[in-house]
Amino acid sequence: MPITIPKSILLTPKVPSIAVVGLMLAQFVVFNIVNNPEPTCTLRVERPHHSTSIKESQNFDAIKLNITSKCTAPQEYTRITARIQKLENNREVTVSTFLSRAANSTAKVPTEATFKNLFTKCKFGVESSYRGSAEGFVILKGGKEVKVSGNSGKYEPENCSIGTE
Amino acid sequence: MSYFEECLRLGEWLSEADRRALYRYLLESNKENYKAQANLLLENSSLNKKIANGEVVYTVLNSLVTYKARKIGSDEFTSEMRKMNLIGIPIIDTQRLKKFFAQSDVDVIQNFPLAGENQESEGGFCVDTYPYYTLAYYANGGNPIKGLIKKLRTNDNEILTKLRTL
Repeated sequence: MPITIPKSILLTPKVPSIAVVGLMLAQFVVFNIVNNPEPTCTLRVERPHHSTSIKESQNFDAIKLNITSKCTAPQEYTRITARIQKLENNREVTVSTFLSRAANSTAKVPTEATFKNLFTKCKFGVESSYRGSAEGFVILKGGKEVKVSGNSGKYEPENCSIGTE
Repeated sequence: MSYFEECLRLGEWLSEADRRALYRYLLESNKENYKAQANLLLENSSLNKKIANGEVVYTVLNSLVTYKARKIGSDEFTSEMRKMNLIGIPIIDTQRLKKFFAQSDVDVIQNFPLAGENQESEGGFCVDTYPYYTLAYYANGGNPIKGLIKKLRTNDNEILTKLRTL
């Protein structure tokens, strides 16, 4: 009498093997993205303000723009071109365009670079509304370039007016 | 206190025009110093010097001159901030190095000023991307012809006169 060996249910795949490989691949990709995200950088442009420190030390009035670039990974340096815009008769007018500046990060805070020297003389006593903006790029440690841009948001009034460029 | 001494204390409050005038002033008033420094750098491939509250180290490697700087007393040097190619003809290289020295001196003065009344903000080394001896500076990295026109229109003589006379 012939012996019939029943086909084991364990040997019969319920899910096609191609789907299993696909799922494993998807899991690998998702795991890597979640655990090793691409570094990102943001440019924080503070609102242009009348600088009391310049007034006290230099005895002139100026509108100052503070900018910091922050990354999720250590950076080498950031390079930006910044400008100050003013509202004049409800129109946006660029009143100051700063020449390109480059700032290094420090060992203390390797993910950040701070920009100084961005100021323009103004006439105190005349109110004007300003907004700051900048764009450029960050070079991360290792050489990767990340583009950045930002602005200070809505126009804010200051009691000091910059003349048109 | 002379206006130049005041500039050594102004640091980050030096305006764009101040920095350009300071560059021109340093270039003309330090002509002989810079020449001696250029010879030393070309001979030894390395040079250390101090300006304002900063210390600068220049290095020549494979005809490329670079510099890094730090605040006097600090352990941390900046990364290499600028570079310039040398062409191997000493007379021309010396002329180019003089400009490189004046540029780096302005960079260091604005970042590591002498102690003064001015409030210094925290942060890294911050410089004008393009050196003052290039048209790229005046064109902000754009068309050199535009840069030339802007250079011809730029007049920092008032500050330069203050630096020379006060």
